[in-house]
Amino acid sequence: MSFLHKILPPKEWQPVVAVLMGAIVALGLYMVKAANVTSYLSDDPKACINCHVMTTEYITWQHSSHREVAHCNDCHVPHDSFLKKYAFKAKDGLYHATIYTLRAEPQAIIMHEAGQEVVQSNCIRCHKAQVTDAKSASWVSSHMHDRLDRTCWECHRETPHGRVKSLSAVGYHVEPLPIKEQQELFVPEWLEKATESKKSTP
Amino acid sequence: MSSRMKNWLLFAATVVIVLLLSILANSIINRKAESQFAYQPQVSINEHEPRNEIWGENFPRQYQSFMRTRDTSFVSFMNGSKMRDALEEDPNLVVLWAGYGFSKDYNQPRGHGYAVQDIYNTLRTGGPTGPGTGPMPSTCWTCKSPDVPRLMNEIGIKEFYTGKWADIGAEIVNPIGCADCHNPKTMSLQISRPALIEAFQSMGKDINKATHQEMRTLVCAQCHVEYYFNKNMPDKKGAQYLTFPWKDGTSVEAMEAYYDSMNFSDWTHSISKTPMLKAQHPGYELFMTGVHAARGVSCADCHMPYKAEGGQKFTDHHIRSPLDNVANSCQVCHRQEKEALIEDVYQRQKKIKKTQIALEKLLVRAHVEAGKAWELGATEAQMKPILQDIRHAQWRWDYSVASHGGSFHSPVEVSRIVSTATAIAQEARIKLARLLSELGFKGEVPFPDIETKEKAQRYVGLDMKKLEAEKETFKENIIPKWLEEAKKREDQMGVDKVSMK
Repeated sequence: MSFLHKILPPKEWQPVVAVLMGAIVALGLYMVKAANVTSYLSDDPKACINCHVMTTEYITWQHSSHREVAHCNDCHVPHDSFLKKYAFKAKDGLYHATIYTLRAEPQAIIMHEAGQEVVQSNCIRCHKAQVTDAKSASWVSSHMHDRLDRTCWECHRETPHGRVKSLSAVGYHVEPLPIKEQQELFVPEWLEKATESKKSTP
Repeated sequence: MSSRMKNWLLFAATVVIVLLLSILANSIINRKAESQFAYQPQVSINEHEPRNEIWGENFPRQYQSFMRTRDTSFVSFMNGSKMRDALEEDPNLVVLWAGYGFSKDYNQPRGHGYAVQDIYNTLRTGGPTGPGTGPMPSTCWTCKSPDVPRLMNEIGIKEFYTGKWADIGAEIVNPIGCADCHNPKTMSLQISRPALIEAFQSMGKDINKATHQEMRTLVCAQCHVEYYFNKNMPDKKGAQYLTFPWKDGTSVEAMEAYYDSMNFSDWTHSISKTPMLKAQHPGYELFMTGVHAARGVSCADCHMPYKAEGGQKFTDHHIRSPLDNVANSCQVCHRQEKEALIEDVYQRQKKIKKTQIALEKLLVRAHVEAGKAWELGATEAQMKPILQDIRHAQWRWDYSVASHGGSFHSPVEVSRIVSTATAIAQEARIKLARLLSELGFKGEVPFPDIETKEKAQRYVGLDMKKLEAEKETFKENIIPKWLEEAKKREDQMGVDKVSMK
């Protein structure tokens, strides 16, 4: 008797079981759609505000100079290997999803140790030139230690999210449009119409 | 375990799993719905929403800082936010503007929050007793309120510029604010006044090609520029059409030539009979000739620097002198002590002020001497070249003083303008000396006794009591009516609440 035979229901029950299994799978699929699960495979920062409790982090980043050079994942997931990146994402994501579903999110979200390590290594990944100095390393005995015994944000406290990050810290905000779209709005339509005549005389 | 038992267990397990799945699905849907209401705007802002407080519902930080433009506690060497009577501080101005509204009343500007109140109060707008009365055209409202683009859209631009200041008093009630610079949907910067767009067209430029950083200056250039009211626009008869004289360039000489070529004058001087030009705050034009503009700095960079509050960085809408906020303006780039930076600014301003005051004295003398020449029977032909010099000299002087902050924005250019004006003023006085001696006048025409504002106003023949009484009557009878009418209109506007809060 093979394993398959063991779990297959008797012949007369099979249609019913198939229908029930289908229902469960469909419910699962519906949830994947409703929760926009596929967006988490991307690097789009908007995926992080599928849950509104991340809005504060999103807006503070959006008003920082890092906006131009780094998205959430550039800092918050490891980049040393593809596997590590997605494993970390999955672990973090499931943890976030659990806390969010249980409505257990804190008023001010802070990083756990695993996350801190990742962010610290990502600071170094981009800012290596600023934090290494061959000359000092060669003759200042504590140089290595001085650089690595604290996190960057112990001093750079405002980078990039600022110091105030509670759920209620930011209000409504409008995202800046891409420059090209903004330029179409420099002159509103009613005024465009009213001043259309390219006057040759002043 | 019997097979029946097994089946029941299986059934129960399935129930539990599906139940949990459903609860999870329900939770996802619930929280998605919740997101619709978290971080949402309070109200939806309509295209021509003139009421700043309605925008403020959605953007409390910007609005609250904008409200602080009503703070009048800061005083600097030149301006500040306090109401300062410029005529009292420098009575020469009364004589220089004799025969023109500015000799009646001229104050240093206060914050944007006072725009409407201050235009009510200034004696220059007189005491209208109803529609069609008073000295000023409706065009004077153009830079005072976000009600302006609303009304222009309703009645037409040309129509807006047609008629008296008092005709549309009831329509304009909100001080300079949100809709003057922002697109209500996207909050992008946008131009709301036709004059700037038309000025760009006249220079053969397209304002839509501006960069975002340039827009942070251009929204200010809608108003902080030199302008005049063109009464002879083809196909716009009857309108006092607001125009910037930039067609041939924005330098003081280019604008002077522009005005000369069309024989334009703002008024005729009551003492010297000169066809005068009044320069009106060419702030943008002068700033563009300075080093900060050359380095790509915009108005907003110093007058509205970023500010962080409650975790959010935003533009400080408390538009004011950077000297009131050195840490966030100057010191972002200049890492010197605050006192040293302010001293640098004051030094430029004080040096230029000295040359301007000396020039004012020459101009006063020129006007008085010209008056004397007329008295002694000088002819139009004899006076023409002299009056042309006086016109040019005073235009340049005015261009240099009327641009608030000009002597900091572009000290070299302002100095240059003052020195050309000084040369022309002296040229006028040499010609006058010759003419006066020709007319048989010996010696010096005495400098008038204009030590105080009162004396100066008496000297140019202003009846201040009458003007003030007219203003009082207007404030008692007309303004309450305007406000009442405006309130009726705004009560009907309503507010579109977005959520159920």
